[in-house]
Amino acid sequence: MDIAALQRKMRDAFRVEAADLLAELDSSMLELESRPQDADLLNRVFRAIHTIKGSGATAGFNEMAAFTHHVEELFDEARMGRLTITPEMIDLALQAKDLIGQLLEPDGTDAVEPACAQVVEALAKFLPPDLRPRSNRPAKPVNDAPQQQRHKIFFRPHPQVFFSGTDPVNMVDELRALGDATVTARVDGVPSLETLNPEQCYLAWDVELLSAHPIAKVKEVFIFVEDESEIRIESHPEPASSAADEADPLAGFLNIAGQSMEALGGFLSQLRGTTDTDLGCCKNYLRILRTFQAAARHQGQEEPAALLEVQIHLLETTLTDKVALSDQTKEHLAKGYEKLADLIRSLRENSLRGSGFETRLAPQPSVASQPAASAADGPKKEALHAAASIRVDQEKLDRLMQSAGELLVARNAFPILAKKLVLEHGLSVMGKEVKDAGDHISHIADDLQAALMSIRMMPIRTVFQRFPRMVRDIGRAQGKEVELLLEGEDTELDKTVIEQIADPLVHLVRNAADHGIESPEVRAQAGKPRAGKVTLKACNKENNVVIEVHDDGRGMDPARLKQKALEKGLITPGAAEAMDERAALELIFLPGLTTAEKVTDISGRGVGMDVVRSNIRKLHGTTTLESRLGGGSKITITLPASLMVSRGILVEANSEEYVFPMESVVRMVRLPRDQIHRHEQAHFATFRNEVYPVLRLADHFASETRSGEIAWPEEVALAIVQTDRERVGVAVDRFICDVEVIVKPMGRDFANITAFRGATIMGDGRVALVINPAGLV
Amino acid sequence: MAKTIMVVDDSSSMRQMVNFTLAGAGYQVVEAQDGLDSLAKSSAQKVDLFITDLNMPNMDGIQLTRRLRAMAPYRFTPIVLLTTESQHEKKMEGKAAGATGWIVKPFQIEQLLAVVKKVCP
Repeated sequence: MDIAALQRKMRDAFRVEAADLLAELDSSMLELESRPQDADLLNRVFRAIHTIKGSGATAGFNEMAAFTHHVEELFDEARMGRLTITPEMIDLALQAKDLIGQLLEPDGTDAVEPACAQVVEALAKFLPPDLRPRSNRPAKPVNDAPQQQRHKIFFRPHPQVFFSGTDPVNMVDELRALGDATVTARVDGVPSLETLNPEQCYLAWDVELLSAHPIAKVKEVFIFVEDESEIRIESHPEPASSAADEADPLAGFLNIAGQSMEALGGFLSQLRGTTDTDLGCCKNYLRILRTFQAAARHQGQEEPAALLEVQIHLLETTLTDKVALSDQTKEHLAKGYEKLADLIRSLRENSLRGSGFETRLAPQPSVASQPAASAADGPKKEALHAAASIRVDQEKLDRLMQSAGELLVARNAFPILAKKLVLEHGLSVMGKEVKDAGDHISHIADDLQAALMSIRMMPIRTVFQRFPRMVRDIGRAQGKEVELLLEGEDTELDKTVIEQIADPLVHLVRNAADHGIESPEVRAQAGKPRAGKVTLKACNKENNVVIEVHDDGRGMDPARLKQKALEKGLITPGAAEAMDERAALELIFLPGLTTAEKVTDISGRGVGMDVVRSNIRKLHGTTTLESRLGGGSKITITLPASLMVSRGILVEANSEEYVFPMESVVRMVRLPRDQIHRHEQAHFATFRNEVYPVLRLADHFASETRSGEIAWPEEVALAIVQTDRERVGVAVDRFICDVEVIVKPMGRDFANITAFRGATIMGDGRVALVINPAGLV
Repeated sequence: MAKTIMVVDDSSSMRQMVNFTLAGAGYQVVEAQDGLDSLAKSSAQKVDLFITDLNMPNMDGIQLTRRLRAMAPYRFTPIVLLTTESQHEKKMEGKAAGATGWIVKPFQIEQLLAVVKKVCP
């Protein structure tokens, strides 16, 4: 067992669990702030902290565990009813929780040490003075000088000892392992067979143990049963060895060694000769090894004893598992024997020297259990209590999605093939069968798609849950009262989308709380309630998910926005003049613009809104802004709900096929030629009292240069598409049909071509480019 | 044949750590996340040793011990409780419920192996 690797694994496993627990603590602690008497909550918080401490310490995070202990104490007192949780304590606890997270980072300890010390000090104020960190770790027993002791042990287990799952014989064996033991069982308590209750223990044991181990070690054997059992231990130092040996202890040992080696040699050849398990032979061998070892220890010859220990362990494992004596094991035993022989020889030759011995004690591999006859023991029945969820490697899921996606496109080949069979080869029966098979596969593919999409879908709650804390912190830091309302937390989004909108949403909510909501005094003066409201709403609309960030704060001032933009040279005076209110509000999306009074350390550096919009755009979504001076602002983000398969409209322009993503198409119309007007270089269309700028796809993607202008057809097919700012009409040659496509990104080299979102392979194998409307206009 | 040890703890990292350690020493390990889970799984397969935490949702370690002792196959099976230093009363309660022994958290790998060897050699 590689200890270092094991410890690394433990640390990694713990980090994963800790991340979940810390996230849960965030929300639990906030809930606790509003319901400090809730016993269930208190217990939950306590348990989470307790687990972090316990498992963390076992995984090796000692500093973290020591620090967490203080927080645990606070909540222990609270759940016992000896202390009431106040907002100040929650503040501290949240701080502590953040520090715990940092302590888990590799090399995270030093940086946060001063902060931790501060928190501990602050926590101590809340705890009653008599509460000291309970560290009644028993003092490590001092190792007596290795002197032989003679222990006289009497052990009578409690008659009901079996009911605690204890087998007293195990303890006797443990004593045997400590040295040279003579065991006598006392059977006088055993009744006649008629009255004997097999579940009761009637036995007692006398053990005489000769061991270098001190009495403390002997007592340790009985720690689990000492309370209920009768145990008497008398220990006396063993008088020095008999005169003969005292004269030459080494000679005495070598004598025993000689005898033992001879016996071992005999058994070894017997063992090697057998082809199947001979447990009796193994037992004898083991017995000799043990006696030899005891003698070695008796004489203070630790080195041979250690070598023997390895051999003993090897055999013990074999015997316990009752496995066949493998050839490997026999080899090990033989090698061990050789090593012993060498050692004894060198002992004979010179006086004992410990150095150089380590090299002879090469690590011997442990026996791997190989069942002698591996008869299957029957399929293990599945646990009745199924796991609530399974963690899946994201990579595996991605691969699965990819294959499924390709299936969804490949299935489109069937109708085409069927048609071919009928029309080109006159095989109508065949054609129908192919079509039916194709339909069947199509249904299955649809089910598969739905199931897979739902796997990747996660409730937006996972992103929303960080906001209550954030809003609270901002409110407290700025002396404002801000209320956060969350709606539609169960709305589901693809996991990747959720990951990508997290940052933009953080920015928007921060803005709302920081810049949007005014101080309570200002609000009161304006006749508003003192507490400002920030609402975060998510809902499904057709194929899209709509997220709104709404605040009832001060709103944005178009005039000030224009002024700032002018000051920063982002627009010309002429443009500023011509701008209406709606356009002025759009200025906030310009990089570098901020009208914050002062840059707070939370937001206000002017890098925000443009990044938000571009991030959302990368997800093929749109961002729109509404605001009323004094009334508040609302930012609406619209995102396609799924990344995998998109529905689109196949169109033709200039003999090429293109796909419009369905979620961006507002309407498809056919207008008579005379509703298209020209103004300078641009075209416009009027439709239902709205004017749309028009651009022609054919012009945009002209495949060869043409002279002059193409005439407009009698009826113009117009796709009205929505971009962030406006609606634009895109004229195509004709609409073909609805399609379902998997949009594949075009590759790095084409990343700059903003007009396309990607490409897709149609059912017949041809490639069609998928248009990104925002990139067209 | 290798012995089967069931480790019961609501902390997944603790379960994993015990699992690695014991599996590396040649035991078969089964994990359960609380008392209820453990009862369900142990009625479906033979367990030679239980190692269980005390604080768990749904059913704690002491209750689990009592329930196991009431099951015919597990009346005499070793059950070891994972306790913390400050839980002395719990140790007594555990004994009364029929537990075999305990290991104090946090523990070193060697300590875990020593106790396992002691109660389930």
